[in-house]
Amino acid sequence: MLTRRKLFKLGAVSGVTLLTIETFHASLEIPPAPEGLGHSFEFLTPVDRGILSKITPVILAEALPESNEERVLAIKEVIVGWDIAVSGLQPLTQQEIRKLFLVMDSNFIFSLTPRLLTGVPGAWDDPSEIDDCLNNWRLSDPESLITGNELRIGYMGMVELTMASWYTNPRSWDFCSYGGPPVLF
Amino acid sequence: MSDSKNTILDFVAEGFQQGWKHIDASRLGEDQSLEADVVIIGSGAGGGNSAEILAQSGLNVIIVEEGPLQTSRDFHMKENEAYSNLYQESAGRQTKDRGIKIFQGRMVGGGTGINWTTSFRTPTETLKYWAEEMGVLGLSEKEMLPWFEWSEKRYNIQDWKVPPNANNSALETGCEKLGVSWGKIRRNVTGCLNLGYCGTGCPVNAKQSTLVTTIPGALKEGATLISKARAETFEIKNGKITELKCKAMTPRGNAPAVQTIKIKARHYVLAAGSIGSPAIILRSENKILNPYGLVGTRTFLHPVNISGAIMPFPVNGEYGAPQTSYSDHYIETRLDNQKSGFKMECPPLQPMLVATALNGHGKVHAEIMRQRPFLQVLIALQRDGFHPESIGGKVYLKSDGTPGLDYAVSGYVWDGIRDAFIAMSEIQFASGAKAVAPVHRDAELYHSLDKVKKAIASLPMATLKARLFSAHVMGGCPMGENAAKSVVNSKGRHHEVDNLSIFDGSVFPTSIAANPMESIFAVTAKFATELAKVLVM
Repeated sequence: MLTRRKLFKLGAVSGVTLLTIETFHASLEIPPAPEGLGHSFEFLTPVDRGILSKITPVILAEALPESNEERVLAIKEVIVGWDIAVSGLQPLTQQEIRKLFLVMDSNFIFSLTPRLLTGVPGAWDDPSEIDDCLNNWRLSDPESLITGNELRIGYMGMVELTMASWYTNPRSWDFCSYGGPPVLF
Repeated sequence: MSDSKNTILDFVAEGFQQGWKHIDASRLGEDQSLEADVVIIGSGAGGGNSAEILAQSGLNVIIVEEGPLQTSRDFHMKENEAYSNLYQESAGRQTKDRGIKIFQGRMVGGGTGINWTTSFRTPTETLKYWAEEMGVLGLSEKEMLPWFEWSEKRYNIQDWKVPPNANNSALETGCEKLGVSWGKIRRNVTGCLNLGYCGTGCPVNAKQSTLVTTIPGALKEGATLISKARAETFEIKNGKITELKCKAMTPRGNAPAVQTIKIKARHYVLAAGSIGSPAIILRSENKILNPYGLVGTRTFLHPVNISGAIMPFPVNGEYGAPQTSYSDHYIETRLDNQKSGFKMECPPLQPMLVATALNGHGKVHAEIMRQRPFLQVLIALQRDGFHPESIGGKVYLKSDGTPGLDYAVSGYVWDGIRDAFIAMSEIQFASGAKAVAPVHRDAELYHSLDKVKKAIASLPMATLKARLFSAHVMGGCPMGENAAKSVVNSKGRHHEVDNLSIFDGSVFPTSIAANPMESIFAVTAKFATELAKVLVM
């Protein structure tokens, strides 16, 4: 996972200091957290949920329902599924996912990375920018001297947990033409 | 353990209601001290199998399992439930560099509870290599034959005569058209309904896992099962183990709780699998357990790469027995080890497994998921451990004492992975695929064999680019007669510590080059039978 130390290293390499990161943090608004459908969250903070509510539609794209109402509900359910899944992981893995959110909370990927590495200005409200950032992580070189394999690992973790949460939700099954588990009796 | 929907007779749950001895350690109010003739750590193919043999010879046996006790009525064929409850690290276990995702069972029944029932005898060439190159004695094909036959009887391993699902039949058709040899897989099932949900726990007790066979067999003889307890360390005095220390797990099972369980026994059997067994020795930090630093080394994975194809007909690979056909063509033609050989099989295709194995996100990913019913998938398992360059991985301890596996894929194996991408796409196009996508970060969907082959030739074969998986962790405590080159002897007995045995897949000095369950059954049945004779004397 991306650590503060490595963040700093990246900051230094790019001529940006942690102070700048903090400034960006203060200047950008984290999207509001969606409600939990009666679920009481164990792992995900309101900030995490806000981030997920913006990333989820970019990761799942057309797989989410078209109507706005169903779409909003689906995103909430993906986030609840995320929380349930992460709450069952080993403490050490939970710590790694916490670090991943810290990095995103610092607006690192959605503001600084694009600026530094792709030249795209960052904001939470433009799905195409979020998509660019995800692709930036996805295509990052695992052997990069600056970030190592951490961006790629962060991308895989983020995408996998989102996919797992959605595609185990029966609401996704029409889209992928899955009839669900056989009825035994 | 109560779900009124599943009304199939759950004889395992009934057995516990009628008095089989079981301690759910997550419910313990206080620390426990127990005694037994033999304590077995793990309840999978090695542990469950050994438990029955040792208990039937009159020994008082305790089985310690880190995972939960769940039985057929708890298995609802739901991916989210199963992966988080029944797999190591919620099915998210990965090698140190995150390059290989590892599926391992963690439940009463171990891997046999969630595997796909694929049963092969240990290949002749593997046994030969162990004898000739690895210093293993007494495990020749001839000497193992009675133990394969014993395993096949005990776990009802038989030919599977039901027609394959379309996913498997595509493998057969493709091979047939290309003149590539293939065969039918034998399965350990009784009254299988051909549902396709072996991987989420068999809801009808058809799969003959240790959960429904040898563990009940041991419990009927008076053995005690402790679930949700993590074996932590061995205490050593005067060159012998005097005690096993365990920690109870929390009710959710993902972290240790405060209660401890101490077990004193005459003999200790490690059967926690190829990551778990070395971990307990490493945590014990005693030189006599690991005098040559070999514990945790030579850990093999059969690294698996994947090729997806879009067929012109519905495949619906989520239904029907998941693995019924295979090809050993690229093992049989590469036995000289000049090139890395690989076995080809099929996986089940439930949506979460597919969605998380595919590359990428967004529109491209969604489009493949939309076509999921038409998806045909092949996997190739590399035969690692038979070449000087293929030395396997190393088990290490993380900061919290839980184990990890550091496994670097060798250049030799990467070449085999590239060849496997090509071989799989050839079979898929031969069986009628419209398009094929190697599961690789930089690959896309290719609409002709020429195009995919050209692309594969230039795809970088590197960690986190080609997506790799493993469902077979083997080795880590290799057996052999030379104490400086192996951890246990050819009977699974530790070279230095007389009252320690290792009876699981971690004793294999190479990978098996086939799905390892039957190899573990056969080898540990032999070991446990020999140990029982010694202990009851």
